[in-house]
Amino acid sequence: MANEQAIQAELQEKFPYFSEKINVSGDRRIWAEVEPANFFEAFDYIVKKMDFPVLCIITGLDSGDNLELIYHLSRRDGTMLNLKTFIPKANPVHKTVMVDYFPGAELYERELVDLLGMRIEGLPEGNRYPLPDDWPEGQYPLRKDWTADILDKLDKQPEEK
Amino acid sequence: MNPDKIVKIPMGPQHPALKEPACFTISLNGEKLVDLDLRLGYNHRGIEKAAEERTYIQNIYLLERICGICSHSHTTCMIQCVEQIAGLEVPARGRWLRTMVGELERVHSHLLWLGVAAHEVGFDTLLMYSWRDREIVMDLLAAMTGNRVNYSFNLIGGAKLDITEEQKKDILKAVDALEERTKYYIEVATEETTLVARLSNVGYISLDDVMRIGVVGPTGRASGLDSDARKDDPYAAYDEIPFKVITDTHCDVYGRALVRMGELMESYKIIRYVLQNLPDGPIAVKAPRKIPAGEAISRYEAPRGEDVHYVRANGTDKPERMRVRAPTMVNLLAVPKMLKGDNLADVAITIAAIDPCFSCTDRAIRVSDYDGGNAKVMTWEETRQFSIDWYRKNGVDFTELNKRFANRIK
Amino acid sequence: MAASIIEMIVFPGFIFLGVLGMIFEYVDRILYARLQNRKGPPWFQPFADFIKLGAKEDVIPREADSRMFKLAPILAAAAAVVASFYIPMWGGSALHSFTGDAVVVIYLLTIPTVSFFLAGWYSTSLYSTVGAVRTITQLFAYEVPLFLVILAPGILAGTWSLSGMAVFYSQHPLLCLTNVLGFVVAIVALQGKLERIPFDIPEAETEIVAGTFTEYSGRLLAIFRLAIDIETVVGAALVSAIFLPFGIGLGGVLGCLVFIIKIAVVMFILAVFKTSMARLRIEQMVNFCWKYVAPAAVLQLFISMILGAFIGDAFIGGGE
Repeated sequence: MANEQAIQAELQEKFPYFSEKINVSGDRRIWAEVEPANFFEAFDYIVKKMDFPVLCIITGLDSGDNLELIYHLSRRDGTMLNLKTFIPKANPVHKTVMVDYFPGAELYERELVDLLGMRIEGLPEGNRYPLPDDWPEGQYPLRKDWTADILDKLDKQPEEK
Repeated sequence: MNPDKIVKIPMGPQHPALKEPACFTISLNGEKLVDLDLRLGYNHRGIEKAAEERTYIQNIYLLERICGICSHSHTTCMIQCVEQIAGLEVPARGRWLRTMVGELERVHSHLLWLGVAAHEVGFDTLLMYSWRDREIVMDLLAAMTGNRVNYSFNLIGGAKLDITEEQKKDILKAVDALEERTKYYIEVATEETTLVARLSNVGYISLDDVMRIGVVGPTGRASGLDSDARKDDPYAAYDEIPFKVITDTHCDVYGRALVRMGELMESYKIIRYVLQNLPDGPIAVKAPRKIPAGEAISRYEAPRGEDVHYVRANGTDKPERMRVRAPTMVNLLAVPKMLKGDNLADVAITIAAIDPCFSCTDRAIRVSDYDGGNAKVMTWEETRQFSIDWYRKNGVDFTELNKRFANRIK
Repeated sequence: MAASIIEMIVFPGFIFLGVLGMIFEYVDRILYARLQNRKGPPWFQPFADFIKLGAKEDVIPREADSRMFKLAPILAAAAAVVASFYIPMWGGSALHSFTGDAVVVIYLLTIPTVSFFLAGWYSTSLYSTVGAVRTITQLFAYEVPLFLVILAPGILAGTWSLSGMAVFYSQHPLLCLTNVLGFVVAIVALQGKLERIPFDIPEAETEIVAGTFTEYSGRLLAIFRLAIDIETVVGAALVSAIFLPFGIGLGGVLGCLVFIIKIAVVMFILAVFKTSMARLRIEQMVNFCWKYVAPAAVLQLFISMILGAFIGDAFIGGGE
C-alpha cells in the first residue's frame, strides 16, 4: 500500500487541512474530506498534478443538515481517491466540474440537481435528467425526508380546487 | 449552412432501432447529421431510492433488475462493496464461480450485441444466427443457476450454488461449440463486404476524446484505451487468472465489433481456465444480517463497460445509500461526438455500438383520460381496487378463490 | 371483348397475379427463413396478412393530402398489373404485344416506384419524407443499368418487343450466353427496384421506421403490399423472359409450370442475395451502382452491339 500512502503523504504535505481528514482503507482506496471553500484548490491539484484522469461517479447523499458530495476519482492503474465535501442544505450551491475537468460528469451533475436539489453553478443549459419534464417543483426524491406518497398528495390538490 | 435545410427527426422515445426508450433528436442536413440532442430518463425507476428502503438481501434481487443483461454484474459489484464493509473474506471457490458466471454473462451479452448490431445495419441473417447460438449459453446459465436472465447466483459472502462434474462437462462442450461459431462470426464480420462497408469509419472517436469524456468498456478499448477493471482493479478471481485485455485502434464501430469478438474468445479461455483450476472448498461464508457502519466503492467490468457501485452502511440491515453507475451513463455522452458529420443511416448502429442500456424511479401512476386530457391520478391501492372491480364487472371474480386459498392455508 | 376482359381481370390478369404474387411472397419468406435457420411462416401467411389488413381501419394522417394518399397504392398496383400484360409468360407471346413494348414495360415498372415516392411525400411525416427522397435517389441509381440491360438483348434479337426477344432467344438458346453479364446486372437492379436488402434503404426499419409506408395502415397498406408482390412477380417474369427463355411455346399446364419454375429460380437468387448481406447506406448504394453496375450494363450493350453487327445478321429474322 506504499503507493496509496505516498498519495496520502503528498496531499497532507501540500494541504495542511488534509492532515486529519485523509485515510487509506485498503488496496487502491483512499478517502479524503475537504471543506467546500478549499474544494477546488484540492480538486485541481489532484486531477491535474497528481494524475487522476478519471471521474468514476459523483455520489450525492443526504446527511442531515448537509448534502454530502463524493467525487470518486481514479488513476488508470485503478487507485481511487474519494474526495468528500459537505454542502449545507440551506444553500446547496456548488460549482460544476463538467466544464473545466470532466465533460463526462454532465449526467452525474444533472442527477444531483434533479434528485437532491443541488444547484450546480456553471452547468450548461440542457435537458433535465433523469426525472420527467412534468415533475413537480421542489421535490427531491433522494432526500431522506422524501417519500413517494408526497406525489399522490400533490397530484390530488388540483382536483380538490 | 442554410437553417431552412435542417430537418429535425426524433428517434425515440419509441423507435424500432431502440430496444429501450430514450430520445435522440437528430438535426439533419440532407442525409448528414448536424446535431444530436439527448433526452434520457424514460426508464428511471428510482432503484437507488428503493434500495434505501430494502434490506441487503432484498437489494440483491432489486439490483439484479437494473438490467436484464448485466444482472450478475450489478449484484456482484454491490455485494463486493457490502463484503468490504463487513470485512467478509469470500472463499476462493465462491470467487471463482462468480468469475465464471460473469464470463458466461459476457458471452451472452456480446453475442446479443452482435445480433443487435447486425440488425441495425439490416443484416438480419447474422442476427438470427448469433441469437440462435446465444441460446447455448443461456441454457448453460439456466442449468447452472436455474434462471436464464436474473440468475440470483450471488450471496453476500459467496455464491449460492455449486457446480457438478456433469455441468462442468456440459460447459466445456458448449464453450467448444461457441468458440467454433465465434470464429465463423469473426470471419463474417471481417470479410463480408457490405457489413465492413457499413461499420468502417462510422462513429469515429479518437483516443483523446475517449480519455476526456471517460468512455469505458469495449467502446473505449476500441479506441486504443487499455483500461479494464478486471486488470486495473482486480476483483473475484481475476488476479489469479491469465487473460488479455483486447484493444483495437480502429476507433470506429468496426473496431468495437472486433474488440467484442476478441473478448468472446478471451472469455472462452477464462471459462476453461476456471473449470480446470477450480479450487475446492466452501463456496460461501455466512454473512451477518446487519452490516456495520462504513462505506466502500467497487468496480466491476460488466460486458458493456465498467460498473461502479458505492454503498454506505449505517449499522442496520438497510443501506444508507446505494449509488450505481452503469457504463452507458458515460458512454452515451460520447455518442454526439461520434456522430458529428455521419449519415442518418449510421445513427442506429453508432448508438448500438456502445451497447447502451438505459437504466434508472418509481413514478406515480398516471391514467390520462383519453379525450378530456385532464389527468386522473390513482394511487397504487386505487389502481388495484379498480382492476379488481373491472374484472368483477366483466365476470371474473377472485373473492371465492381467495377464500378457498385462505382456508387451505389455515 | 368479354374474353379479353376476363383475361385482364382473372387469368392471367389481376387476380391470378395477385395470388401468384402472394404465393411468391411466401416462397421468398420461407426461403429467407430457412436460409437464416428459422422455421418461417405457414403457406397461407401472406393471404392471412392481406385479409387481416383489409379488415383494419384506414388511418389517414390529418396533415396528409388524402387524395394522393389513397391514390398512390392503387396506382402502384395497377401499373404493375398492366406491365405484366406485355410480358411473355408461356405460349410464345404476351397478352398484348407491339414493337417497342420493352420500353413501355420498363416505364410501367417505374410507376410503382414513383407512387412510393408520392405516397411518402404526401404523407408529410418526417420518416415518410426521408423515405420518399431515398426512393427517388435510389431510382436514379438502378434505373439506367436496368434500362440498358433489358434493351441490350433486343439489339441482338433485332426487336424491342419482349415477345419477339423471347421467341428469338428460345430459337437460339446458345446466344443467351452472351447475356450473362446482363442477367447479373438485371438481378442487382431488380433487387434495388424491389427495395430489398441490401438496397432496402428507403424503408430501413432501424433508421426511418418504415420509410414511405410509415403512415399507411389497413386496406391501403394491403394494396401497397399486394402491389409490391405483383411487382416482384412481374420483375422476376421480365428477367426470366429475356434471360431465361426456355420452355416458351410449350403452352398449357407444362408451359405454366416452366414459367413458375423460372420465376422461382429468380426468386431464389434474390433471396440468397437478401440473406447474405447488410443494408448499404444510400451514398454507398449510388456509388456502387454508378461505379460497377452501370459500366457493366454498358459493357453488355457493347457486347450485344458488336455481336449484332458481326454475327447477328445470320440469325435475324426470328423477331418481327
